Amino acid sequence: MFRTTIAGLLAHRLRLLLTSLAIILGVGFIAGTFVLTDTIDAGFSQSFTAAADKIDVAVRAKDEENPLPPSLLAKVGAIAGVKDAQPIVSGEAALIGKDGKTVGELVTAGVSFPSYRMDLTSGKVPASDAEAVVDTSTARTQGFRIGDTIAVLDDKNARHEFRLVGTFDVGVDQSLAAHGAVAYTPATAMRMTGAKGYAEIDVTTAGPSRESLRTAIAAVAGSGATVQTGDELASDLAASNGASTEYLKVGLLMFGIVALLVAGLVIYNTFGILVAQRMRELALLRCIGATRRQVFGSIVLESAIVGLVSSVLGLGAGLGMGGLAVFLLDTFSPDVEVPTGTVTLSPQTIVIGLATGLIMTVVAALLPARQATKVAPVAALRTQTEEHTFRTGVVRIVFAALFGLAAAALTYMGVTAKPSETALMTVMAGGVLAFFTVLILGPVLVTPLSGLAGWLPGRLFGVPGRLATENSRRNPKRSATTTIALTIGVTLMTFMAVLTATMRATADQELDSQFPADYRVAAQTGDVPHAVAEALRGHPELATVAEFREAEGRLDDEDYPIGTVTSSVLETALRPKATSGSTDGFKPGTVMIADYVAEHLKIKVGDEVSVGTEKNATPLRVIAILDSESLLPSITVPEQFFDERFGKVDDSQILITAADGADQDKARAIVDDATQPYPAVKVASSTEIRSQFDDAIGGILSVITGLLGLAIVISLLGIANTLSLSVHERTRESALLRALGLKRGQLRGMLTIEALILGLVGALVGTVLGIVYGWAATTTISESVSFRLPVGQVLLFIAASGLAGVLAAVLPARRAARTSIVGSLASD
Amino acid sequence: MTTITSVRSAVTAQGLTKVYGTGDAAVHALRGIDVGFATGAFTAIMGPSGSGKSTLMHCLAGLDSVTDGHVSIGDVEITRLNDKRLTLLRRERVGFIFQAFNLLPTLTAEQNILLPLQIAGRQADQALFDRVIDTVGLRDRLRHKPSQLSGGQQQRVAVARALISKPEVIFADEPTGNLDSRSGAEVLSFLRTSVRELGQTIVMVTHDPVAASYADRVVFLRDGLLVREIEQPTPQTVLDTLVALEA
Repeated sequence: MFRTTIAGLLAHRLRLLLTSLAIILGVGFIAGTFVLTDTIDAGFSQSFTAAADKIDVAVRAKDEENPLPPSLLAKVGAIAGVKDAQPIVSGEAALIGKDGKTVGELVTAGVSFPSYRMDLTSGKVPASDAEAVVDTSTARTQGFRIGDTIAVLDDKNARHEFRLVGTFDVGVDQSLAAHGAVAYTPATAMRMTGAKGYAEIDVTTAGPSRESLRTAIAAVAGSGATVQTGDELASDLAASNGASTEYLKVGLLMFGIVALLVAGLVIYNTFGILVAQRMRELALLRCIGATRRQVFGSIVLESAIVGLVSSVLGLGAGLGMGGLAVFLLDTFSPDVEVPTGTVTLSPQTIVIGLATGLIMTVVAALLPARQATKVAPVAALRTQTEEHTFRTGVVRIVFAALFGLAAAALTYMGVTAKPSETALMTVMAGGVLAFFTVLILGPVLVTPLSGLAGWLPGRLFGVPGRLATENSRRNPKRSATTTIALTIGVTLMTFMAVLTATMRATADQELDSQFPADYRVAAQTGDVPHAVAEALRGHPELATVAEFREAEGRLDDEDYPIGTVTSSVLETALRPKATSGSTDGFKPGTVMIADYVAEHLKIKVGDEVSVGTEKNATPLRVIAILDSESLLPSITVPEQFFDERFGKVDDSQILITAADGADQDKARAIVDDATQPYPAVKVASSTEIRSQFDDAIGGILSVITGLLGLAIVISLLGIANTLSLSVHERTRESALLRALGLKRGQLRGMLTIEALILGLVGALVGTVLGIVYGWAATTTISESVSFRLPVGQVLLFIAASGLAGVLAAVLPARRAARTSIVGSLASD
Repeated sequence: MTTITSVRSAVTAQGLTKVYGTGDAAVHALRGIDVGFATGAFTAIMGPSGSGKSTLMHCLAGLDSVTDGHVSIGDVEITRLNDKRLTLLRRERVGFIFQAFNLLPTLTAEQNILLPLQIAGRQADQALFDRVIDTVGLRDRLRHKPSQLSGGQQQRVAVARALISKPEVIFADEPTGNLDSRSGAEVLSFLRTSVRELGQTIVMVTHDPVAASYADRVVFLRDGLLVREIEQPTPQTVLDTLVALEA
């Protein structure tokens, strides 16, 4: 029996090729994920080990707020056996770029040099308080060269100039990489950042063991410090970075699992068809004495061999994909400092890859194998293969109804519940059940749906179109499994598209409704000097200038920031949303409170609350509870009251609207001019914010779509596979049609249309599911979502699926059209 | 019995040669055949297994290419046509009835009958359709799928399909090979009736002397050569001829 299986495999190797490809891609993706994350992990641990080699003992502040006292450095340095002790200062000091504004979105970090944790890449270590070095990435993007003078704002927003004497590599510190960093001598760094002490002191030994030195240092370090050997430090840092690759791994594996699931469906279908086609062969085996068990075993064995061979190839593909991802990461994103080790296939990856591929293939082949055992020996004697008539069974309907009801109930519960994570999870569970309902009902649905999808081709292409429609529904089970594989990918893509479109629309709407601001002026560090607002007023191009101010104060008996906003704009431009009460009667003696504060202190509209400072509080009447998404300070008091209580306070932000019909460029120029003298004060326009948000969302969507593309590709292999097997099955039918006058092109067209219909059916079901659950999911995110259907994208998905189906049909159709008529008619 | 005489042939072959393979492996299936099939006549092609009768039919019908020689259907020499022109010619001028697997399983009997017309984009002649359906007795089976029909009924659908487009010639390849004798006799009667009443030209390949006796004329093949022919055959004369050929 074993020999028969091998012979069968060799005979059908072409037919199994597409199936193998599906497994190879699925296993390859999973293995590739491990290869990528292993490589990054290896890179991190290499870097940390390198750091650990240099540092013998590290003293670290337990709490960022309470750094190590500077006096500790001398104490540590005085311990016998300490060769060198270097402090690390860590804080923020905004670097000013060539445009005269502070660099980047995040405040530049201010650190100290020399350091055991970072390496100089060019120039020299800053030796005086007039010298500084910047990280290589910032130097490159800002165009700084050694010898340039750079300007930095200290923690009081005072400007200081330094001579750039070198550049350094931030190493594996992700935070420094994100912020950009300037390094000074430790004393200058403390002055610039306002740090009260050191974040860390790195010690090297003059001879004593790391452990003994650690004990000695721990004795003087005090309770606010953690004292670790270099090895402990390395494993600590590696662990905290390992967590981030864990996210990447889990995220990628989810897509891998989707891909494998789709591959499983393709395999199930392929083996189902192969078994159906080999009915006579199997019956012959039974005739000459093979038991049911042997027939079953031979199919399972076949799947195991296919699974194993493909998984091995998949591991190779994974190594390639992982390596490619590492290469792309290294080459195309120099700003992301990801250290990479050598690309290797770890034993764990090999075991996981082989196991998933093998198990999935065998499991997918179990049902077809069972089907094979049902072949009656007498079937060997029948000449004509039977048509597979499909009848909707009671069991199928009952199961579909059960799943459908459960899905509907869960979805309804999730949609009607208050927006929360639980509601989202409930909706998702409903979505999974709905998918199973579709899976069960697939064969029932595919007949009317292919009629629908085939309506136009039937009209347009005449006989080939109508025959294609008939063919696509002649074996509903087969068609359903083929299309459902595509449905998975399309559903998820549509779901994501709906979700992101809705999020985008909701964000836009909120931006519009809360404050139709054209520009927002805010300081990267500290506040916006009041002079900016003064400079902005009195220009006809600007309609409103709303100043927001905040100060530390008290509400009843708790510390809260108290804020105010230019009162004239409350009625006109700014329209804060109140969850209860109204903002209309906002006058001296009243206060408005954000909902989360009100909830915490159990405050209602109409209550009297005491607002002010610890020494000087006044009772105010609450007139409105504000929506937490409103831009107003969480406790908003009238301007006059604020001035009396807190005096002159600079603006936390200024929101500006341009006058209707005003020249946008001129308005922008006015705002830019007003902020020009203050490097830390930056202008953002609503269009910039919107496009940044859109870019971010668009980026996420395209990454996810790309990853889901793999599932789509695998499902296309499935369509190609089903078609080529069907073509094989219908060889004589095709020959008959050709004899009756169907042109070669028409026969090709017929198969192409069949694939088109399969693709469209899969896409239709997928988009419907995706839209419904995209909508359901958005209702669980927030109550005020403005649902948006990305019609263009959805149509694109449908069209792309159809087109993909057509592509999948190219080879099978060519083969069918090339076959000689006489040969096919004679073949049995 | 009226004999239909014709002035021209529906199908003619001249020096028809067909060789499969090359060199030592070459098989000479047809070794230069000259034959004509009269319009409005029912001709049977007979011969022992391997005599080349099926190959001859495939070449005459334009299903297979010829190695040498000429074949004409009506006034068109088909040996010069490319695949597309051949397909169009089959569509317009040729009907087929095969031994088995004549029908598309996805279509009803009626759809199967009308298929060649639809492929050609032509409308069915309702009167002809009714006449054909009544002749083959399928009126109450039109909505059935092939799987719901008996073998004899399926072959009658195939006959109706071949007749409906009024082709210049119908090629039948062992049309009764898979049928019991009663169903076979029915199908053969329909074929003969269509020749008598509709003036249809039919060329049938068979190895069954009884089937051949329904024809107006029988041509005999042996080893790729046309060796004999008889007019107005009876089962006995056909059998005698066959026995003589085998000897």
